[in-house]
Amino acid sequence: MLLSRRSFLDAVGLREAGPLSPAVVAARGREAAVAAGAPALGATDLPGDPAEIRISSNENPLGPGPAAMRAFVRAFEDAGRYPTNARPSMAELRHTVARRLSVRPENVALGAGSWELLRTAVRLYTSSSRHLVTASPSFEQPETMAEQIGSPVRRVPVDTDGRLDIDRMAQAARWAGLVFFCNPNNPTGGVHGARAVADFVTRVRRESPETAILIDEAYHDYVTDADYATALPLALEHPNVFITRTLSKAYGMAGLRVGYAVGQARTIEAFNRWAITFNQNSLSVAAAVASLEDPEHIAKERARNAEVRRFTATLFQDLGYRVLPSDTNFVLVEIGRPARDFREACAKHRVLVGRDFPPFGQTHTRVSLGTLDEMKRAGSVFAEVLGKRQK
Amino acid sequence: MRARSRSTEEAMPLSRRAFVKALGIGSAGVFAARRDAWAEVAAQATSAPPPRPLLLHNNENPLGPGQAALDALRSALGAGEPAGRYVFSRVGELHQAIAERFATRPENVVTGCGSTQILRAAVQMFTSPTRPLVAGDLTYEECAGYAELIGTPVRAVPLDRALKLDLPAMADAAKGAGVVFLNNPNNPTATLHGADAVGGFIDRVLTASPDTTILIDEAYHDYVTDPSHQTQVKTALRNPRVIVARTFSKAHGMAGMRVGYALGHPDTIRRLESWEGSNALNVAGLVVAIASIRDQARLDAERDRNTQARQFTIDWFARAGFPATDSQTNFLFVNIKRPAREFRDACRAQGVVVARDFPPFEKSHVRISIGTLDEMKQAVDVFGKVLGVKAKAA
Repeated sequence: MLLSRRSFLDAVGLREAGPLSPAVVAARGREAAVAAGAPALGATDLPGDPAEIRISSNENPLGPGPAAMRAFVRAFEDAGRYPTNARPSMAELRHTVARRLSVRPENVALGAGSWELLRTAVRLYTSSSRHLVTASPSFEQPETMAEQIGSPVRRVPVDTDGRLDIDRMAQAARWAGLVFFCNPNNPTGGVHGARAVADFVTRVRRESPETAILIDEAYHDYVTDADYATALPLALEHPNVFITRTLSKAYGMAGLRVGYAVGQARTIEAFNRWAITFNQNSLSVAAAVASLEDPEHIAKERARNAEVRRFTATLFQDLGYRVLPSDTNFVLVEIGRPARDFREACAKHRVLVGRDFPPFGQTHTRVSLGTLDEMKRAGSVFAEVLGKRQK
Repeated sequence: MRARSRSTEEAMPLSRRAFVKALGIGSAGVFAARRDAWAEVAAQATSAPPPRPLLLHNNENPLGPGQAALDALRSALGAGEPAGRYVFSRVGELHQAIAERFATRPENVVTGCGSTQILRAAVQMFTSPTRPLVAGDLTYEECAGYAELIGTPVRAVPLDRALKLDLPAMADAAKGAGVVFLNNPNNPTATLHGADAVGGFIDRVLTASPDTTILIDEAYHDYVTDPSHQTQVKTALRNPRVIVARTFSKAHGMAGMRVGYALGHPDTIRRLESWEGSNALNVAGLVVAIASIRDQARLDAERDRNTQARQFTIDWFARAGFPATDSQTNFLFVNIKRPAREFRDACRAQGVVVARDFPPFEKSHVRISIGTLDEMKQAVDVFGKVLGVKAKAA
């Protein structure tokens, strides 16, 4: 095994007992700078204050796996080549995604993160007379795009467990251009099982056959609910149904901007036509291909995250606060006070939690999951800031 | 600084070269141990991919980014964790670095996933079905391609007889247009308009059609050697109707890293920024771009290297009886007096890849990117065979 984090830290003589300390994690940039004999970096070039715990953006605190980083470094050689000429190339990434999912390359469109694909979907399927259906709250990129191009938006409140309200979303889907179905849903964390999603798709296809359905599976790799399954088979079965995925979450590549959409070839063709020219970079392509060939690493990351999720949920529950069910790398917690107050108080202790998520801004906070060690340290800050909930 | 031959470059992958360089620095035990962590990476990174043909079709810098820039990347990403973070703060750092380079402010700078994303944003924000795009025929196609996607009509203005953008005709066509796209030097013809001609064009468009935005793409600026050339950045900074786009894909050697930028008046920049923001930018590209924009010496060396290889190739074609335009870029547009396709296929069979067809010149002209001098020496051997040029004559 190459530069596993552990061997790297062994090598640098900085490994501490127990899980990686965030101080060490964050300081790796500096270590590597010294190692490379590179010019000294300004403070702003470093990943962040070593004492800072960034649990605000649902990032993987460990970054890409070792195989991905190895490929990334190897690809330095092709930094001057367009991603179509690099080895591996964009086309090879598309093939790799297809192979991993047992579909054909024509079923796969790449995006600069799934962000780009969500925007393209809104452009392709909504208009001033064909509205977007989304949940409230949900990931906002689709509604932002709809507003930019003047498409109406119908926001369907999530249910009391923070899950998408399937029945009301199906009703709102009549005559819609596009339904954005984020499963598991960000920022609430809840997931619907395979049966429920299939029934939803069948119902929308029956009641509003012209409506496209985008099932965003950004957090797919973090799901542990046994009833869950990817909606990929639905995307292949129905025209205008497609899924999006990102390598920004479990794959730890938020900074590298790789996402993809999968659906019927005709659906996907339009995404490729609209794609930003060269929306992949040659180094990310190499890292992504290596990551996708290393499913074992993702399984480990899922297990690591699930353990941290249990720990974090328990810590809030022990303080008396309700945690919404989560199958992701974050939890939405009912803190019964404005998220902003909580966020600012935590920031004073260098713990950065999520922004406001209307309509839950006055009552809930979203906390992303760092390493176990980070969450232990964050937990004592949460306890101090929140106190035990008064019954 | 980049005199190494291509063969040396290929024998030792960049990551390995960087690592070897690092070995020469520092001696404390702990530093050595730290380097060993990267040694493991470098050692595993040496399974060299099979040799590939000479790629002279995409106007890439054959040397890639400067070593300092790649060192900065390796340092910044450490063992990988920062690659897992969204880029937020680094975008501001790059805007600051670009602003410093042009002695202006970050509000005058927008960045994108290649300049292509910014060109698209400009077409998106400033054209409509009733406000057309004006572009040369032939020029870089990104703007016209995107205009077609969003239903903006395109007024295509043929080149003049010297294969230069026809500025008077473009100015006439600009009346009532949303955007007029001026690629200077122009891809794929490699031709340039000097500062006086461009200045006159801008004045004329602004007077005759004050609501038209002039989008000047200076992608090849760093390769220009004609002394009549001047960037239009100063005009763009003070005039909301003028935008100058630049890219890190060419002289900065970062085609694979997807970073471009534009300079303009803050009001214009805000509108460009508002369309897609910085979500498509990647951390590796940002880090390398920040280092590269500060490394003017490397850019100068790259221009000199390109100029030499370019002149060698132009001279060879001239002696062989195939005139090229006066290239101010890192590629040539050559009249080979036969269909580009035949020439391309024959070169490809001998391991040299040249560019695709560029109608309406596909029956007579080919675009050839400039590699290293060594590469161009190999390439002209192939060109000579394909074109039937006697070695002595050439």
